[in-house]
Amino acid sequence: MATKPIPVPDPLSEGFWSAAASHVLAIQRCADCGWYAYPPTVMCGNCLSPEPSFQFQPVSGRGRVTTWTVVHQAFLPGFAAEVPYVVAEVELEEQEGLRMVTRLGGARPGDVAIGLAVEVAFDDVAAGVAVPHFVPAERRA
Amino acid sequence: MSAPRFTARGRVAIAGFAHSPIARRADVPLGALTVETCLRAIADAGLTKDQIDGFTTGALFPSSGGRALVDGVHVVSAAWLVERLRARPRWVCGFEGIGQLPGAVILATEAIASGAADHVVVHRAMFNPAGGYHDNPMARADGAAQWTAPQGFWGPPVQMALPYTEYMRRYGATREDMAAVVVEARTNGAAIPWSHWHGRPISAEDYLDARMIAEPISVLDCDIPVTGVGAFVLTSAERARDLPHRPVYVAGYAQGHRRPANGVNVWSLDDLFDGGRAVARMLWDNTGLRPEDVDVPQVYDGFSPFVYFWLEALGYCGRGEAHRFVRDGGIRTGAGLPVLSGGGALGNGRMHGVPQMLECYLQLSRRAGERQLPRADAGLACQAAPSLGGVVAYTSEPTG
Repeated sequence: MATKPIPVPDPLSEGFWSAAASHVLAIQRCADCGWYAYPPTVMCGNCLSPEPSFQFQPVSGRGRVTTWTVVHQAFLPGFAAEVPYVVAEVELEEQEGLRMVTRLGGARPGDVAIGLAVEVAFDDVAAGVAVPHFVPAERRA
Repeated sequence: MSAPRFTARGRVAIAGFAHSPIARRADVPLGALTVETCLRAIADAGLTKDQIDGFTTGALFPSSGGRALVDGVHVVSAAWLVERLRARPRWVCGFEGIGQLPGAVILATEAIASGAADHVVVHRAMFNPAGGYHDNPMARADGAAQWTAPQGFWGPPVQMALPYTEYMRRYGATREDMAAVVVEARTNGAAIPWSHWHGRPISAEDYLDARMIAEPISVLDCDIPVTGVGAFVLTSAERARDLPHRPVYVAGYAQGHRRPANGVNVWSLDDLFDGGRAVARMLWDNTGLRPEDVDVPQVYDGFSPFVYFWLEALGYCGRGEAHRFVRDGGIRTGAGLPVLSGGGALGNGRMHGVPQMLECYLQLSRRAGERQLPRADAGLACQAAPSLGGVVAYTSEPTG
């Protein structure tokens, strides 16, 4: 059976994937101005610091769906057995425009809507490798 | 009309063209089809191979399949073509960005206007490989793919689905509205002899019943992968006037540059619109034209929602209004704007901007036959997303 693609960290993304392996969502943040960047970048998109200094900082893992699709034809064979499945774009609550493309687990296609509150969850996909994705947030009193 | 900033306006012209049949698979290798088509374009322009001293294309293979590409098989670069034509060029150049055909035309125009070349062949060769066009057996996701593939987000239809969902929810657009776009493209494409869809129009019901790929994108919202070649010959306006066909002049152009972060192709609706509006401002400023001056605005339709995005970016509709505009007959043949009169990508096959440029050329040179528009003095040929693709404006006279 075909497997899903396993993410391969590189020097820019290593902090993200090492945190994810411990089931922590950590986003690259500019030490000069506090701006979050996803995917990780080499130069702060906000303050354009000429000597950028970044760290991967844990975030709440909470956000809202900004848009989504229901995939019926998977071009990656590792996902073929799971169609139809939902892929969403989620904006994290830490910063306007801080958006991640993510598998939306635990949601039936008919239940998804723009603005749906979601929270991060993790799939352990290989030894020492976990992929963050999002699920509908627990309803809290 | 305001004064154009583009001082080469009207100094470069299209002198001729050729088009291969568009088919799912070709009987001959893509390289051979390209050589044959370019030789026909040169003859159509009333020139000989030895007079061609410039060559350019944008040779991108727009598949997410991750295949190893072979020049002459999957793509045909300008350099490959030069070698097989045994040409002796003064200028050879490839366009590397998005909006490959406008990009190549812009390079050719600047080469001719500057004197770097006299007669330039611009070609676009498209290939449909065996197997699923975007199917990718990757086991490891590195580079930009690490942010998308592990999430099951892969391939342009999924990429298109996200901003289209946003559009439909924000503005109340329906698939019934989009039927007006796809049916119009297929109706017009059915009348084009070399189209893959020649003789095969569809109804709104056919569209609404189409198989989903990534909701709300169905298989009929995507242009079909094909093998085919389009080629054009560009030269100076002065030389073009001594050639057999009526010249069609380059009036100016604009290109988008809003690339998603770090090569991760996730589009937001606001970026598409704001980036598209910026491109339109550049276009009108560069050409001195206004939207109402354009008789043949051939928008890009490789995915059906691009038609909405271009109509709104260029100012033919307000933001969020294109779905109502098309539903109310705004682009219907004989009644509305001829934005898909050449069949576009949805009505011809995945020819990446060739149908749009060709329709501008045929209408403005008065070579469009039965579908010749009574008034065709200015045209636009668009390609790709308005925020990161390109658009070239053409006129039937060098000025005015």
